[in-house]
Amino acid sequence: MALLPPLGAATPWLLWFLPLALLPLVLSVTRRNAVSSVSAAPEDPLSSGLRIALTAAGMLAIGGLVLALAGPYRAGERVTRIGIGAQVSMLIDRSGSMNETFAGRQPSGAEESKAAASRRILRDFVGERAHDQFAVTAFSTAPMLVVPMTDRHDAVRAAIAAIDRPGLDYTNVARGLGMALSQFGPSAPGVSRALLLVSDGAAVIDPRIQGQLRAEFAKVRPNLYWLFLRTKGSPSIHDKPAGEDTPQAAPERHLDLFFKSLGVPYRAFEAEGAEAVASAVRQIEALERDPIPYTEERPRRDLTGWAYGLAVLGLLLLVLAKLAEAEIVRLPDRKQAPRAADPAPAPAPTRAAA
Amino acid sequence: MNGGVMTGREGPGLLGALPLGRNLRDRRFQALAASLLLALLAMIVPPLPLTRSGVSVLAVVDITGSMNVRDYALDGRPASRLDLAKAALRTLIPELPCGSRLALALFTERRPFLLFAPIEVCADVAPLSGAIAAVDWRMAWEGDSRISAGLHRAIAMAGELDTDLLFVSDGQETPPLPATGIPPFEGKPGAVRGLILGTGGYGLSPIPKYNDRGRETGFYAETDVQQENRFGPPPADAESREGYNPRNAPFGGTVAKGEEHLSSVREAHLKALAAQTGLAYAHLDGPDGLRGPLLAAATPRPLPGQLDLRPFLGAGALALVLAVFLAGAFRARAIPFTASRTS
Repeated sequence: MALLPPLGAATPWLLWFLPLALLPLVLSVTRRNAVSSVSAAPEDPLSSGLRIALTAAGMLAIGGLVLALAGPYRAGERVTRIGIGAQVSMLIDRSGSMNETFAGRQPSGAEESKAAASRRILRDFVGERAHDQFAVTAFSTAPMLVVPMTDRHDAVRAAIAAIDRPGLDYTNVARGLGMALSQFGPSAPGVSRALLLVSDGAAVIDPRIQGQLRAEFAKVRPNLYWLFLRTKGSPSIHDKPAGEDTPQAAPERHLDLFFKSLGVPYRAFEAEGAEAVASAVRQIEALERDPIPYTEERPRRDLTGWAYGLAVLGLLLLVLAKLAEAEIVRLPDRKQAPRAADPAPAPAPTRAAA
Repeated sequence: MNGGVMTGREGPGLLGALPLGRNLRDRRFQALAASLLLALLAMIVPPLPLTRSGVSVLAVVDITGSMNVRDYALDGRPASRLDLAKAALRTLIPELPCGSRLALALFTERRPFLLFAPIEVCADVAPLSGAIAAVDWRMAWEGDSRISAGLHRAIAMAGELDTDLLFVSDGQETPPLPATGIPPFEGKPGAVRGLILGTGGYGLSPIPKYNDRGRETGFYAETDVQQENRFGPPPADAESREGYNPRNAPFGGTVAKGEEHLSSVREAHLKALAAQTGLAYAHLDGPDGLRGPLLAAATPRPLPGQLDLRPFLGAGALALVLAVFLAGAFRARAIPFTASRTS
């Protein structure tokens, strides 16, 4: 809890015990000595000074300990700085075919499925640069928001760790694109935004949704990267089908054409193996080198040690005072003399004993 | 207290003039010195390393149609079972000990779909909370709700992730279970620990219906849903049904009637599933209160923690100093100043 803007206490209710620090104003740690008449003693500035010093030491000791128990700290701050990085919204295909190898088989032995390869490579991509922000969206039949835009790379890696689990049915890329675009949130000026689509196939985008997507892309204006994990033998995004050139016959080619028509910076990477995926990711990383404002959390500083230091100072004075106590009237009798003094051998009595 | 006889050790100089022996024997001096020692220790001791217990949980949230039934209230407004389950999970996150981990999966059709592997609940609270808030029934990939199959696979998934399981569901199977009852559990009951969290009211409520654009268009009617599962062998009482014919109408000759279009929490079914798989069962009553049953059902996992010793040392030092000051006050009352006492 913050009490004043920069200062706070971990358990602030303990501060209610601070008035205990006023106790030394009325009580003393020193032995009481009776004198017949205090007024008989002359005014003594040294004694009053010592009395004030010991009272202050007592207040410091109690106040310091109460403060230390409350756990004072200087609050952390959020500082906005400029780093190199980008907002990357990842849209990952979780359809069943992603669990096959690049050769289109079920993985066996040392073979790696497309999902496992992208998992391994994207994991390294996340956290390479400290100031990147990531969002993860999965899609198959329906789009699924996995992790919202965040700079917590551990969470993003946990989301990427899940992508090689058995996938679902279909590749419905249109709704996935819509959700991945919505992950960017309100625009911040000067922030580089990248939408990274990782899929091993494409689907026909409904013409009605095409219009909506165009409008969204024009609004968000991300750099669009399509990492197409091509299964060997399947058509490339550049192949024209032998028969009719319709979206149904060649969905990959027509998705590529649709992306090209969006008017945003767009690059497609066709990868037919894990190395090609890795090199594509490296290229994307090199392209996204723009300044990005990021907030850095300065950790709060624990001031408990300082509070204990104050208490120690006060206690030290009190202990020395106790050690230096002496009787003013040296009689083999009960307590005599007024309050004792510090190293000085009990000077004149103070005006008010205790 | 101790009779103040000067020890005669005083030589020349200031220090020698002090009754050191007597001062050292003074209880109040000793208390102050101990207090000073404790405060000094508090300044320098490092925190004591120790092991705390946290949990590692895979939360599987049912996002099928019946979870849209609004039979809860949240902030004075009707809330769907899914809304309440999400609120309960988001309330749970800050209540778990730091170092605990939470993974999230969605359930529909007959299997859980893992969104992310376990995430630490303190450092990564923002993405975790955001991901839970974003869970929506529209993420469902199919309309079926085969809860028994989903639970069995969720248990397997929790086993793979080495976590406990929190399965949030209302227990309404769609299509209804066949007459043969719950499918057999192939895993080992109790190998994965966890909790089945039953959501939904105990009374029947209508299930909202949505069109293909995701807009609500009304409620399911009796004829909209399958009221009886007619796969597999017919139930034992089929012979007594009207129009029964062993070959042409083994389930009877009439359309099945039932209340499958209405929904309440199917506690009996969920409890049977919990008993079959060795999980615990709890009912979700509100957004709070998930922590207790979950921690009771989950395996405590050792987490590195540390114990700050400073509060104990500081409290001891403070008690001693206060005692010294207050002892002065009591003594002052006990021994009033009178002239007769001075020699």
